[in-house]
Amino acid sequence: MIQVKDFTKKYAGFTAVKNINFEVKAGEIVGFLGPNGAGKSTTMKVLAGYLPPTEGSVKVAGFDVVKDSIEVRRRIGYMPENMPLYTDMRVEEYLRFRARLKGVTSKKIKERVEEVKNRCSLKDVERKIIGTLSKGYRQRVGLADAMVHDPELLILDEPTIGLDPHQIRSVRDLIKDLGKHHTILLSTHILSEVEMTCNRVIIINRGKIEASDTVDNLTKLVRGGGAIKVEVQAMSSLAKDKLMALPDVDDVEVLTDSEWSQIKVFPKNGSDIRDTVYGLIRNEGWGLRHFNREGASLEDVFVELTQD
Amino acid sequence: MRGFITLLRKELAAYFVSPVAYMVLLACSLVIGFSFWFWVNYFVTNNIKEVTVFYAMYNGFFFWFTLIIMCPILTMRIFSEEFKMGTIEMLMTAPVREWEVVLAKYFATLLFFSIAWSPALLNTAWMHFASPEKIQISWGMILLPNLCLLLIGGFYLAIGIFTSVLTQNQIVSAILSFAMIFVLFCVGFLANGKADQSTQDLIEYFSVMSQMDTYSKGILTSRPIVFYLSGITFFLFLTQRVLLMKRLKA
Repeated sequence: MIQVKDFTKKYAGFTAVKNINFEVKAGEIVGFLGPNGAGKSTTMKVLAGYLPPTEGSVKVAGFDVVKDSIEVRRRIGYMPENMPLYTDMRVEEYLRFRARLKGVTSKKIKERVEEVKNRCSLKDVERKIIGTLSKGYRQRVGLADAMVHDPELLILDEPTIGLDPHQIRSVRDLIKDLGKHHTILLSTHILSEVEMTCNRVIIINRGKIEASDTVDNLTKLVRGGGAIKVEVQAMSSLAKDKLMALPDVDDVEVLTDSEWSQIKVFPKNGSDIRDTVYGLIRNEGWGLRHFNREGASLEDVFVELTQD
Repeated sequence: MRGFITLLRKELAAYFVSPVAYMVLLACSLVIGFSFWFWVNYFVTNNIKEVTVFYAMYNGFFFWFTLIIMCPILTMRIFSEEFKMGTIEMLMTAPVREWEVVLAKYFATLLFFSIAWSPALLNTAWMHFASPEKIQISWGMILLPNLCLLLIGGFYLAIGIFTSVLTQNQIVSAILSFAMIFVLFCVGFLANGKADQSTQDLIEYFSVMSQMDTYSKGILTSRPIVFYLSGITFFLFLTQRVLLMKRLKA
């Protein structure tokens, strides 16, 4: 659905995105992460056909974003950050205008506008003037606008910014639901959101792609990914030595040391050592009252990959 | 084409929710109403038959003053507001081309301009049907000054649209277009200088006042038509180029 090859974007005297490559297949929900100023919004603007790439080729649904800009724009629903809207129009009027502008046929306009209003819970504000709406409602008007023409690809730049926790949850559910029929590329700073909704994550920093993989695979990359925390009735120094001797164990850390010792075991490059650790405990006959495999969170990955 | 019509409707509707537009409508109808009433009265009491009411109305100070002021006011927000609010990004990521946007905005403004000046023709029609004896109407003398108004106004509005694409500040846009329009208007005054005949003729060609004078007498000449239509095309073309450039060279 999206093919980005050797894409570079320069603004006057400043390179926002440096030579990046990535692909998004039809049907994927991809999270686009990165610190502020990493080049996320720039990349999204280029994908939406608003800005041209300085170098490289960017294709959406097989169409070049510069040469076949109109074809690209027909196929995408774009929601920019800060959600600019015509503040003097009513919600219903705005959505109808946008639907018509995006080429929805006259017969279908009513049906499509009704549907997006329902999906984004805009029913009770349809007669209100957009300028009087709260941030959360405006955000939802923007989302409704992005999907009003039923596009193949949705590009959402921070869709949940400024929403309250209830609204975040409902938008998240909406995105998950949309992902069944649409391809979605979304950027956000809320990492738990990405863990819950996205099939794949692209992390970008200073205009370069740092990682592109599933959440599970990414968490294995960092130290602490797949670490096992146990609480055993054994002498901590003895337990440490025995655990260190196991295959695939990278490091052992003693957390508390008393009658029951809390110990953390780090595996070598993300391998699963639950069996071997439990085997050791059973053979030694130690008492066991806690056994847990900790996944590193996406936050750990994000911080590790994007820190300077 | 569909994008053009959708945008035209939206732009025209946008005028009718803006207070500035109502001020322009009010000012316009006051100027037209007052001068119409004044000149009809004056012509009747003094039994003047040489020129028409339109000649008197469309060649006076208040007419030119209103025209020169209203064009920058009507066009100042057209693009500047889109840039300032960021809505241009929404507009240009919808499947519409730059020329559709420019033409839709231009024709919506021109339509609003025509609506603002329509009282002049409506007054004439009303007078025709309300007076007990039917007056003989010379269509040329009624329609031609209005055609000339449409051409001049259309040109000034194209200038205004062009300046509004240059900046995101409405005031800057209004001042720029006012300056350009005022200079173009004043070119006509140079004809009164001591230049030789051929130079004076050349200046006459650009003088809006002499064009209006000719048209108000019911004489149709092709020069202003060619001049203004090409001027409108030129400025709309520039607008489209700047709009495209702002996006592509960002």
